[in-house]
Order: sequence, then structure tokens, then C-alpha cells
Amino acid sequence: MKFTHKIKAAALIGAVSTVALMSGCSMNPSASLNGMKGGGHEYLLTVSRPNQLHVIDTETNEVVRSCDVPGIFGQGTVEPSPDGRIAYVGTNKWEDVAGFDITNCDMVFFTKQSDNNVTVKSFVSLAVSRDGKELYTIQNPTRKLSDRYEVMQPQLAVYDTSAGLDAKPVRTFPVDRQITKIMAMDTGEVILGGNDLQAINPQNGEIRILSKLQNWDRAGDKWVQPDAFAMHSLGEHVDEFIMPYFTIKWNGDPGDMEKAEFWWGMSRVDLKTGEVEQTETVPFEFIVFNFITDPADSNILYGAFNTLSKHDIREKKTLAVHNMDHTYYNLNMTHDRTIYVGGTSSDISIHDPETLEKIGSIQLPGDMSTSAMRIAYLK
Amino acid sequence: MNNNKSKHALLSVSALALIGAMLTPAVSWATDGETVIQEKCLSCHTRTGNPDAPYSRISEQRKTPEGWQMTLHRMQLRNGLVLSSEETQAVIRYLSDEQGLAPSETAPFRYVLEQKPNIVEDVDPAYAEMCSRCHSNARFGLQRRTEGEWKELVNTHMAIHPTTELHALARDRRWYDIALNETAPKLAMDYAFNDAAWKKWQTMARPALQGSWSVSGFMPGKGDYSAILTAVKIADDKYSVTMIGHYSDGSELRGNGTANVFSGYEWRAGLMLDGVSVRQVLAASEDGSSLTGRMYQSAHDEIGGDLNAVSGNAIVGLSPSALKQGETSRVTISGAYLKGSVNLGAGVKVLKVLSRDADRIVVEAKASASAAVGMRDVSVGGTKAKALLAVYDSVATIQVSPPQSLARIGGNGGKIPKVQSTYRALAFSAGADGKPGTDDDMRLGYMPASWSLKPQNEVAEEDRDLEFAGTIDSNGIFTPGDTGLNPQRKMSTNNVGMLKVVASVKDGNNTIEGESDLLVAVPSYIKRAIQ
Ligand code: HEC
Ligand code: HEC
Repeated sequence: MKFTHKIKAAALIGAVSTVALMSGCSMNPSASLNGMKGGGHEYLLTVSRPNQLHVIDTETNEVVRSCDVPGIFGQGTVEPSPDGRIAYVGTNKWEDVAGFDITNCDMVFFTKQSDNNVTVKSFVSLAVSRDGKELYTIQNPTRKLSDRYEVMQPQLAVYDTSAGLDAKPVRTFPVDRQITKIMAMDTGEVILGGNDLQAINPQNGEIRILSKLQNWDRAGDKWVQPDAFAMHSLGEHVDEFIMPYFTIKWNGDPGDMEKAEFWWGMSRVDLKTGEVEQTETVPFEFIVFNFITDPADSNILYGAFNTLSKHDIREKKTLAVHNMDHTYYNLNMTHDRTIYVGGTSSDISIHDPETLEKIGSIQLPGDMSTSAMRIAYLK
Repeated sequence: MNNNKSKHALLSVSALALIGAMLTPAVSWATDGETVIQEKCLSCHTRTGNPDAPYSRISEQRKTPEGWQMTLHRMQLRNGLVLSSEETQAVIRYLSDEQGLAPSETAPFRYVLEQKPNIVEDVDPAYAEMCSRCHSNARFGLQRRTEGEWKELVNTHMAIHPTTELHALARDRRWYDIALNETAPKLAMDYAFNDAAWKKWQTMARPALQGSWSVSGFMPGKGDYSAILTAVKIADDKYSVTMIGHYSDGSELRGNGTANVFSGYEWRAGLMLDGVSVRQVLAASEDGSSLTGRMYQSAHDEIGGDLNAVSGNAIVGLSPSALKQGETSRVTISGAYLKGSVNLGAGVKVLKVLSRDADRIVVEAKASASAAVGMRDVSVGGTKAKALLAVYDSVATIQVSPPQSLARIGGNGGKIPKVQSTYRALAFSAGADGKPGTDDDMRLGYMPASWSLKPQNEVAEEDRDLEFAGTIDSNGIFTPGDTGLNPQRKMSTNNVGMLKVVASVKDGNNTIEGESDLLVAVPSYIKRAIQ
């Protein structure tokens, strides 16, 4: 715990001296960032009811500012731009996307995806290209006719992030149903988290398989099809996309629970190369809603729900479990390895990565529900 | 138990608001449902030009009055239909009569219409995960549609509950494809729009329900009752209803109200009974000789019990329904206008007639020590009932009914009241083989019991559920704890818990116990006419 504080202190001194060195320049970066810190400083982003985007400084663990998001609270999806400056928020019952400059809450991007009798929902699917120029959503449209509904083909919608407050897709390409979280890679492709992990080329709509899940090749009498619950995009702190799943291994007859093994697994994609690692991670002992990777050691995962837990996936062992004060859906981690656990209620619980002990807390004005908790690295 | 069927508990409570609307004493059926459909529905729906199915989306479905109520509710809530309550009732009546279900079609699913709590359904695996994970099998088991209409319903689900395909038990399969191309065709076979049962029912003479009925029933907290129900016709398919009788402790029962009859046999009545608003959801038998179903409190539909009515003068029930060899008991015989001497069968002596009322006779009876174990016919004068009284040697087992149950925390100043649960102890003797649990066990009926609770398992014990989750009274009524987080509990959780309900029944010097599982859950926010 003390160790963490020392690192923070060092970082602070570093930041101060940088400012001192640059004070001779005509351009004052701290002024242009409205008092916020650049140089990759880490800001935690989340959304709470009634519908506000919160920007939290991970150094002070204080809310720097809260931006009002238009529309009814949606699922609280947040996607930071690569320069950390813009936070894109999914709002209005999964229908609209609003982009905010986190240094002043100015709304710089907005799209209303539904139109007339066509309702478009994007279930947590929101991604920004690695150069920040394009924004992607998966649109699930239904059309209301006079006495029936038509269920339409889902599609990838590509937006120009500079399109302003009445943005319309510049390209669309058909995709499968049941896609939730998505993320952009250095290959230019967008990972589609759905039945299987796919990658789509947003220039021409070409789709390739990254990692099979629902359609995996394992024998049905040995393994149960994985149940991948893709609710939160995680992994930006280590440039990866993590898709956890749950599966059952039948050691006896299928359905023989006595002999069965219950496993957590994951498909983990390296955002730099598009390489995928699919593996069973640790035996299922309790529910975990989300997993993240330790930046210092990719064999170490942390998971959150009713507990905060630490797992060694090479050893396939759970190393530590900490009972939480209540249920939390979501977690994330800064480069100094401080763990932030949030979602469901209105507090973010801060934990030490070694002991998992609680070392702090951030109170928000409303419940986060299923909102994302992302990290913006402000340039 | 059948292995291909998965068990599915109905974990929710029901919707009175909707049924309530259906029972408001309407002026008359002067408003003709078909006219309303033509005037109010055709701004969105179209005339197909096909006389067998004249209106798009409307003509190729059949459902119960509650089913039509739910659809019309959605038309108003989501689709912009505007209807007065009189028009709504006229449409429900018209569609239930013209596109309803036959008695044989509703028979397997009556519990859901009766708002019976704690039913565990046997669900076909093809529906268990695809459909019954959100609502009962009864909700669609009580509908008949063409394949095209089952498919439209899948599309409606996708549009109004867009996360349907992403939930657990949906995201691990291509939910929409399966629903459209496998489930809908199967539904069209299992619950087919064109079915001989309905065609036949439409041509049959409708049972006449006017007149007086011999009634027996049970109400939690009050016990068994007997009554005479009188139905006086005030319009087509509409009756004014009075019920006069006694609870088994001798106190009076008195109520009146109105009943509407849909599809020729679906009896829906609202009464004020001893100052409490109650509803009756009954089905008339095809020949009109009986009405069976459930009566429950309007504000707490979990508080209710079976009701049986037989047309005219009949013996409809005994309380208690079993006598132990060598014991003397007070026995109430329910039935309207019973006259003549009481005969309880061989070896059972009627020592004294304690009272005679229009709805019942109370006697003191003794089964001789040597009376043969077995069922007895009962008669009063010329009125007879088969196999109504059991004479037994000893109680072998007690089953707590229901075997699995759910109660919900609530109250505590919040908007959602607590949902209680109620229990009865059902006794059996071992039968000729002397072994309990075998086919020849004899059902002795419900017996008085003393009630207690215990933790269901180790987790419940460790979490001290017994202290927090609720209490049970001497009538077998469980009242759950208050809603909200409880700082006294581990992780400040709310007062949910897993308990066992224990009934202890005295039989001579022995005490026999039975148990059932009780889950005390969080409040449910959604109430619908058909769970
Ligand atoms: C303002 C437009 C509108 C009006 C008026 C309207 N409907 Fe509908 N109706 C719809 C739409 C849209 C659907 C399909 C979506 C749905 O089921 O809610 C529908 C569907 C239906 C269905 C199929 C429901 C199912 O479960 O598959 C029935 C039956 C129906 N309507 C009956 C009626 C009746 C009866 C009336 C008049 C009393 C009526 N509607 C008036 C718009 C309307
Ligand atoms: C995600 C949960 C969910 C699933 C899965 C689901 N339902 Fe429903 N269903 C609902 C809800 C909620 C309603 C109430 C709709 C309304 O507002 O009227 C409903 C309504 C219905 C109705 C009544 C509609 C009417 O107006 O007559 C039927 C019948 C029905 N469902 C059948 C099915 C069948 C068949 C399936 C499987 C293919 C299914 N449901 C799967 C949630 C679900």
C-alpha cells in the first residue's frame, strides 16, 4: 500500500518537473487541458444515474468533472479516444452516442441512430479506431410497421469522429447477430465480440474468425459450448481485448455433474498484432463478472463480482479472494497496478493488487448500474 | 418424474390490476366487440379480404380473456390504441367468445389463470430455455396461433425486448434463428390455431350457470368453509352472485358480487366476502354440473384456496375427511339443502347431529376401533357422495403443500407489499402393505398441524436466514421480512433466505413431521395477468 503511494509521489514529482521544464514554451499544456494533466496521465471514466459521465483523476481519486449526458441513462458504455481527450458515451436506451471533451465537458460528437420507425440499438458495442479518426458501433435495427415488427440485419456502422453533432454513418457492413463488445486493433480491424470472436475490416466489411466460441471445434460430449458474457470492454491498460467465458468439461457422460469440471476460460486478443490466446484459466469456484490482466504479469488475472479475486492462469490457481462490501460488476487497473472496482452501486472501491485489501473509495452521485469503467490516457 | 421434462418454478406473482379492469361492473354488452374492432383497430390492422381470417394479426390467434387483456393492454401502452374501458371489455368478450380456448385446451394450465402461487411446471426442453426462462409455459400454452403468428410473436419479442437474444441461455446459441425456424414451427404443432377441440366447443350448448350451487373450499387463515352460491342472470353471460355459509369453526361467511362468463365456461367473479375483496376464477364443466377453481384475496392473490361447486343439492366436502379408528370427532358435511339422516359408512357411527344449516350439517361421529381401514361413501337422505371419508389406523406421512414455495420480502415503507406464502399439511396412511410411500398409501386429506421453520442448508444456517427471512403463524401462513438492506446481515444483504417449512401433526401419541422448501426472495416489480 505504501509502495503504491511512493510510486504516485514519484510520478507527481516527475509531472511537476516536466511542467517546470516546459514553462519557457509559449504553449502552456496545462492551460489547454484546463488544469488536467497530459503526458498519458490516467483518468478513470464511468457513467452514473441519472446520466452523467464522470472523469476521475487516478492520482487524487477525486472526480475532476461530471458531464451531463443527453437522453435516458442507457447501459453506460464509455470509449475513450486514443489521445484520451474524448469520451464517447452510449446513451438513450442503447440508441445514441455522444462524445465529450473530458477537459471541459463540451459535446463534440453526437449521433442518433434510430430514425422514424426504425429503432436501432447498440448493445455496449462502441469502439474508436487506433488513430482516433473513426467510431464504430454495431447497429441492431427493428422496424415498426403498422401492425407488426420487422427484425433487420445487424450492421457495423462507421462514423467519422469529426462529423460533429449530427453524425451519420459513412459506411455500413452486415454483421452477425448477438454482437456486444467491440474494440479496434492496430491491424485496422475491429474485433466483434459475439457468438465467436471475429475481426471485421471497416474499409470493406470483410470478416475473419479470430477465435471460435459458440462454434468451437471441441467434441460436444467432452465440453459444453462456452457461455461468453461480453458486457464490458476491458484490457486497454495492457493493449488487449479479453473475452471471458464459462464452460464445463465432461469427464464422464455428458450431464454427469459428479465427474464434471467447471472452468473459466478466455479468448484474449493482442490489440497490436491481433494474436489470440484461447485457454481455460481457472476452475470455476464463484461468479466473476469481469476479468482483467495484471500489467506486470500476463499470467495474473483479477476478477470482480461479490468478491475481488486474483488468479494465476499458468498454475490454474486462485491466489487470493477478498469479500466485497456488495456486488460490483466491473474492474480496471492503472499502470501502477491500483485496482478500481465499480459498477452496480454508487461507489468505486480501490484495492491493493498484492493483498487485495481496500485502500480507498470514490463516491459518485448516482448508481453506475452496468456502466463501463474505462481509463483515458490523456496526451 | 419424467426425465425429458425440466422443472421450472414460477417465481412470480400476478397481476390484479389487469384482471380488475376486466371485472369492473360493466354497464352491459351493448357495445358490440366486432364494431369496436372495425372502428378502432383498422387504422393499423387491415382487412385481409379472407372471410375466415378477416383482420390482419387479429384473426389467426386464439387466447383466454386474460390473454386478450394482455394484448389489448400492449396495444394501448405501446402502439397508441385508444379504447374506453367499456370498449376494452366488449373486445375482450367478443374475441374470447369467437377466438377463445376450449375447456380441454385450458385444462393443463388453469393454475396460471387462477393465480395459484408456487407451481412448478413440467416444461418441454424445446421451450424451457427458449421461452420459459422469462415467463410460464402457461403464457404460451394458453394461446393458439398459426405458424405465421407464432413467428410474428418472436419478432415482437425481439423488438420490444431487444436484449432477449443476449441473456444467459440465449447468447450461447443463435437464439433468433432457433426461435423463428425451430420453436415457432413446433409451437404451431403443439398449440395449433386450427384445432378440433375449439370447433367442437363452439357448436356445443353452453352450460347454464344460473341457480344455486353447493360449495366447499378453503381459505388460509380461515380454514375450510361450506356455502351456497346463488347466481342470478342479469345479462347475457353476466350474473349477480351471493355466497352464504360457514367456516368450519362455525363463524359465518357472507358475500356478494358479480360474475362474467367468457367463452361459455370461464367464470370470473369479484365479490366482497366478509369485508374483503376476493376474486373467483372458475371453470364450468362442459355439462354445467360443476364449477371448479380458486378464490383468492384481490390485494394478495397468494392468499387463496381451492373452491368446488356442484350444481344444486349435493354433498361437496367433508371436514375433516378422515377418522382414526376408535376416535370421536366433529365432522362437517358441506352441501346445500341436505335433508335426511347422515350415514358415514360401515363402522362409523353418527353419535349426534350438532347442527343443520342450509349449507352444511355438523355431526359428532365415532369410528369404531375395529372399523375396517378404507374409504367410505357418505350420504344424507337420498344425496350421496362416493369415497369421501377415510377411516385409518395411523398417519404414516405428512406432505407439506406446496412442496416448493416462494415468498417475497416487501413493505418497510416501500411501494411493494410483502408476498406471503401459505401451507397445509396433507396426511397419508401407509395402506395395506404397511409401507409408506407406496402406491397403496391412503390419502387422508388435510390435517391441523403446528408450524415451524428451519434453515434449508448450511449456507442458510451460516447466514442465519432463520433470524431474518420471516416467521410462520399457527395457521401455516409465512410472513417474510422487510425489504431493504439489513446492516445486521453479512454483506448488509436484504432479508432473503432459504428455509424449510415444517408441519408437525399429532396422531395419538405420535408426532409426524413433513417438510417443504421455501425461498424468500426479493420483491418482484412486474405483475401481469398471465405470469
Ligand atoms: C395504432 C396502431 C394499432 C392499433 C389502433 C391497434 N393495433 Fe394491434 N397491433 C399494432 C402493432 C404495431 C402490432 C404488432 C406489435 C405488437 O404485438 O405489439 C399489433 C399487434 C396486434 C396483435 C397481435 C399480438 C400478438 O401477440 O402477436 C393483435 C391480436 C392485435 N394487435 C389486436 C388489436 C386489436 C383487437 C385492436 C383494436 C381494439 C388493435 N390491435 C389496434 C398496432 C395497432
Ligand atoms: C427475454 C424474456 C422472454 C423470452 C425469452 C420469451 N418471452 Fe414471451 N414475453 C416476454 C414478455 C416480457 C412479454 C410481455 C409482452 C407485453 O408487454 O405484452 C411476453 C409475452 C408473451 C406472450 C403474450 C403476448 C400476447 O400479447 O399475447 C406470449 C404468448 C409469449 N410471450 C410467448 C413466448 C414464446 C413462445 C417464447 C419462446 C419463443 C417467449 N415468449 C420467449 C418475455 C419473454
